[in-house]
Amino acid sequence: MLQGALAGLAAGGLYAVLAVCLTLMSRLVRVVNFSQAATGMFGGFVAVWLVEEAGLPIWLGSMLGVLLAGVLAAVIGWIAATWLSEADTTTRSAMTVGPLLMLISLSFILFGNKPQPFSPIIAGPAFEVGGVVISQVTVATVSLAIVVAVAMRLVLTRTAVGTMLRALSERPTTAELLGIPSKPLSIAVWFVTGVISAIAIVIVAPSQSNDATSLSMLIVPAAAAALLGGFRRLDLAVVGGLLLGLLSGLVAQIDEVSLIRNFLPFLFIVVLLLWTQRKEVWDAAR
Amino acid sequence: MSTLVLDDVTVSRGAGPVISNVSLTLEQGRVTALVGPNGAGKTSLLDGISGIVPISGGRILVDGESIERLTRVARARRGIVHIEQGRAVFPSLTVRENLSLTARTPLAMEAALTRFPELEKRVDSPTALLSGGEQQMVVLARAFAATPRFLLIDEMSLGLAPVVFMRLLPIVEEIAASGVGVLLVEQFTHLALSLAEEALVVASGHVSYRGTSAGLRDDPGLLHRAYLGGAASVIE
Repeated sequence: MLQGALAGLAAGGLYAVLAVCLTLMSRLVRVVNFSQAATGMFGGFVAVWLVEEAGLPIWLGSMLGVLLAGVLAAVIGWIAATWLSEADTTTRSAMTVGPLLMLISLSFILFGNKPQPFSPIIAGPAFEVGGVVISQVTVATVSLAIVVAVAMRLVLTRTAVGTMLRALSERPTTAELLGIPSKPLSIAVWFVTGVISAIAIVIVAPSQSNDATSLSMLIVPAAAAALLGGFRRLDLAVVGGLLLGLLSGLVAQIDEVSLIRNFLPFLFIVVLLLWTQRKEVWDAAR
Repeated sequence: MSTLVLDDVTVSRGAGPVISNVSLTLEQGRVTALVGPNGAGKTSLLDGISGIVPISGGRILVDGESIERLTRVARARRGIVHIEQGRAVFPSLTVRENLSLTARTPLAMEAALTRFPELEKRVDSPTALLSGGEQQMVVLARAFAATPRFLLIDEMSLGLAPVVFMRLLPIVEEIAASGVGVLLVEQFTHLALSLAEEALVVASGHVSYRGTSAGLRDDPGLLHRAYLGGAASVIE
């Protein structure tokens, strides 16, 4: 059972990375980016094509795919910063459903609707603890989630750019009136989170369902994990992702409840919403 | 000497103009008061100058260069700093972080804190924990550190006790004396007029008085007529 739970950690690390990216996007550019995983998926598919069809070395193909995912995210960010800079979070978030559907459709047209033959960048066991094997992919994704969360926290609290980003997230108009360049900074946030998401997806994709829809819909467990931190706290987003991964691995081992695995993120979201709203008073006026 | 010139500026929001046909010249080192009843369009005019809203007519010139098509970031970089209504601090940022947004060098930071010694002992506190007066000091210190050429101040006294506001006024006077052109929108008309050399009164979206502050201070009747929209008859 422990082996099963730990097997879910690789996916948990991926959820955690995506949750950290979602949290950063929500905090810094006021968007719940539904296309967060889809841009990574598309970059990953292009990487597969570059390796399998164009014959590029795996490291070069993967790098170009990851870069493309960053550029795609930056283009979506440019659209948000240009035409929706004054819009509220709901409108800006709703806009990202468009790129999500477009990227899934485009990948069907270009690459078909079958899983892609991802070549593993990292493979094999990393170490064994008490008879339980921990894979290199697990170590890589969990480490990536923690490193990204810590690095982003340091950037936000210790650097001039981080201070500007926090100022922009609190009062965008006031920040602009002080000459802080909101558009390039916002687009940079989109680019960086796009790149990070794509790296995580390219690492994990060979070892899990990797058709376009499955990869794009990783946004659901990622959103559930980000919700644990209220889309504000990076540490809780990591914890949420890892917890969700462990739970998924665990329930997959128990026949009686293995079906729950498919809707575990939704259950997680419902439980979190009920818990966070437990002190709300619902009366006739509401 | 730099000048900020409004040439027949109109600002609209939604269906129609909020304030129309305003012309004025801000010079460095001088304070101009912009007063008038609530809803006259004072805030909209400041928003139009700094680029929060686009102007719907006229021109805005800095040293002869037209800036009305520039973004608010580009206008800020041309030396126009706008202090918005309310307390425009970044609440989760510390005082030091708030100031560092414009005070980019240790020297600039030191200069800002020297001018506002009250802030020195709170420099590592989140700005949200400061009193209203201290928060306005942070806003003024941040504006000062931006080394503006023109400072647009919108209702700095809002929500402050008069005694606290009275402590801030001399700071505005000092900033102006250091060579900054100040456009001061203020609900405490008599205080604004005591600080300014020139004054504009706007009523119902039009300028009803443009002239010296002394002219308004010395003639309460003139001030009342201007507030009621006495229009061109009282424009000097």
